Amino acid sequence: MRKTGILILSFVFISLCYLTYVSAEKVFRTDWQLPETLDKSLSQYRLVLITRDMETPFWDKVGNGALEQAQIDGASLEVWGSYGNDQEDFLKKIDIALHSKVDGIIVQGLDSEEFKKMTKIKASSYGIPIITVANDVPMEESLRRTYVGSDQYKAGRMIANQLLKDMGDKGTIVLMYDSSQEYFQLQRLNGIQDVLKNHPKIVTINAETSDEREEIVSKTQDILNQTPEVDAFIAVNANIAGAMIQEISKRFQIEPYFIYSFDDGPESISLLTEGKLDGIIEQSPEMMGKLSVKMMMEWLTGETVPLDIIGYYTDIQILKVTDVQ
Amino acid sequence: MISIQRKILMLTTIVLVFMAAIWIAMTHYNHQTLNQYNDILQRYLSMNEVSNASQDVITDLNNYMLKPTPSSLEQLDISIDKIQNAKKEIFDLRNEENDFVLTNYINLIDSFIETTDRFILFYTQNDTDSSVKEFSEATRISNYISEMTLTLVDKELKAYDRFYRGIIEQSEALQKLGIWVLMLITFLLILITYWFSLSITRPVQQLTKAANEFSKGRFETPVIVETNDEIAFLARTFDRMRININNLISEIKSTAQLENELQQNKILLQESQFRSLQSQINPHFLFNTLNTISKKAYLEGSEETGDLLVSVAGLLRYNLKRMDRSVTLLDEVIVLRQYMDIQKARFTDRLHLFIDIDESCLNVEMPSLTLQPIIENAVIHAVEPEEDGGKIWFRIRDGATFVTIEIQDDGNGMSEQKIHEILEGKQVPTEGHSTGIGFSNVVKRLRLFYSNEDVIHIESIIGRGTKVVLKIPKKRSVKVC
Repeated sequence: MRKTGILILSFVFISLCYLTYVSAEKVFRTDWQLPETLDKSLSQYRLVLITRDMETPFWDKVGNGALEQAQIDGASLEVWGSYGNDQEDFLKKIDIALHSKVDGIIVQGLDSEEFKKMTKIKASSYGIPIITVANDVPMEESLRRTYVGSDQYKAGRMIANQLLKDMGDKGTIVLMYDSSQEYFQLQRLNGIQDVLKNHPKIVTINAETSDEREEIVSKTQDILNQTPEVDAFIAVNANIAGAMIQEISKRFQIEPYFIYSFDDGPESISLLTEGKLDGIIEQSPEMMGKLSVKMMMEWLTGETVPLDIIGYYTDIQILKVTDVQ
Repeated sequence: MISIQRKILMLTTIVLVFMAAIWIAMTHYNHQTLNQYNDILQRYLSMNEVSNASQDVITDLNNYMLKPTPSSLEQLDISIDKIQNAKKEIFDLRNEENDFVLTNYINLIDSFIETTDRFILFYTQNDTDSSVKEFSEATRISNYISEMTLTLVDKELKAYDRFYRGIIEQSEALQKLGIWVLMLITFLLILITYWFSLSITRPVQQLTKAANEFSKGRFETPVIVETNDEIAFLARTFDRMRININNLISEIKSTAQLENELQQNKILLQESQFRSLQSQINPHFLFNTLNTISKKAYLEGSEETGDLLVSVAGLLRYNLKRMDRSVTLLDEVIVLRQYMDIQKARFTDRLHLFIDIDESCLNVEMPSLTLQPIIENAVIHAVEPEEDGGKIWFRIRDGATFVTIEIQDDGNGMSEQKIHEILEGKQVPTEGHSTGIGFSNVVKRLRLFYSNEDVIHIESIIGRGTKVVLKIPKKRSVKVC
């Protein structure tokens, strides 16, 4: 009786000790570490990549490529930007970057007055180098150091050639583009038109629209109403493609139309895999990211001065619906 | 001796130490946590400070623009100083996570200050256009600062997320720890208190039990308390008391016994005195009659009978008178001769008595009727059973410190065992007819008289005879021989 009593008591004692120890350990052990405090900035160069289309597949790739290269070069890079082509916010981000005195800005070019003013006057006054990526703004207007991205003129030619190959030597082609007439878009148009003007049987219809969804829809309706014999569409600005295709599919089967676009729109890839687009120009966004950072670092370290004014072109290729499916 | 007081003090000290240790640990821990909280809060406050300071600068800029007085300019300077100070504090907040943003932030503040400076410059130069432009720029940057403060705070929250969760978990764990520690201490205290109270009450119980035993009159069981405190001391004292009481009781008992014996002896003494008085009457008559008969025998010419009667009377008188007194050896020899005369008359030729006495030492003191029983014994054993009679030697020799008396016969002797029994004082059944005073009586009396065990020796060989040797010390003697 006494023995069992002692046994029970010591059991209770030991288990109490154990539980106390366990909870004491939990209390006094601090395994969560605070981020290490620094006295000085880690890296010498702070770069910012700014875009208007955050979290689209294309720009995600650009961002990833840039981050990768920044890691290799030992620069710190952040991807900033606005969503859904919000220009005001985009410009504000550039302004912040300038005021924050970052070492370099890699930016999606915007062919607007404010942008040019910002890059030309403000950036120069702060002495911050700017590299345009994917979308270019001419050097004379923006004072950018260089451009990294696709050769848009070549891309235009490529898409036109592909269209001719697919459709044949005659037909009516609608070229739809953004009314803001950005530089990269102009170049694409030039490319397309340079190819098409050699083919007299081809009729081109230029359809200009804003980037508002409603306007794209109404424009598409207009075209379909006025020229029902249209054979092909090229969405020169990839952002237009989604709304345009949606409107066409409301009225007709999509298959008979030849619809082409570029891959830098938010919906481009998904439209292609769904078979709504017949082909897109596939650019190399990751390469753009990488190369832009690389060029920026080379400029900052003085390795390559000056940078090529025309720009560093990245690969482009036609991606057809048959390639995806 | 660990006193009870010291025990209590020890218990209290243990409890106090326990409590103090826990208190110190908790305080230390709280202090640490509080410091951490303070650091974190300080971070947020510093960030907020920048944001507020920039807004103050804008307000002051505005005021200055509306009312360009020296006082408002001074106010503006103060605000700019404030934002400079806030900027310095921001430097300390840099860590791996917010490195990029923080650098931007600091540069943004710099740009803000620069813009403000430019504004003042343009304003003092009355370049209104430029100053308005700079003012709007400053306002914009101020907004950027506010926004970036939010970004920074956001980053901070993300970076410290695990830390905050850790703090919450820790505080929960602390609560649990508190409960466990409380339980553990309660348990330990109960155990210690139980043990401690037992160590006090158990000896008390033992003592109570012992006291109960005492009250019932049992003083035999010793009081044992095996502790080392006051109770043990009490128990020891109690035990000593028990032993003393025990001793006193046994003393009282023995005294009572002694008294009882004394009482009995007194009764016996009175009885025997009465008897002896009574018996003295008859012997006197007998004695007188014996004397008359002896005179009558003389008168009638039977001288021998007359002498014998005189011897008998003398012996009788000696027997009656000297029983409780010491006599000299001479008296004893005289009585012995008278007795032997009677025995000679009885045994005539069968009894051969050889007496060899050193006359110079006959005044040695000795108890009366010592020799007569011994010689009577010799007569009974050596002469009476033999048809041819026997020889008895009686010798008294002087020694340096002893007078040696030897009584030897040539009878059958006796066994070693019998000698032993006689010397041990055991009652030996008397054979035949003696005067009544046995051999063992003599032995006892001699020993008592001289307070010496070595006063009598018996040498005996079966079939050859017995020799009784008495060694009477002269020390007690009246006169030195």
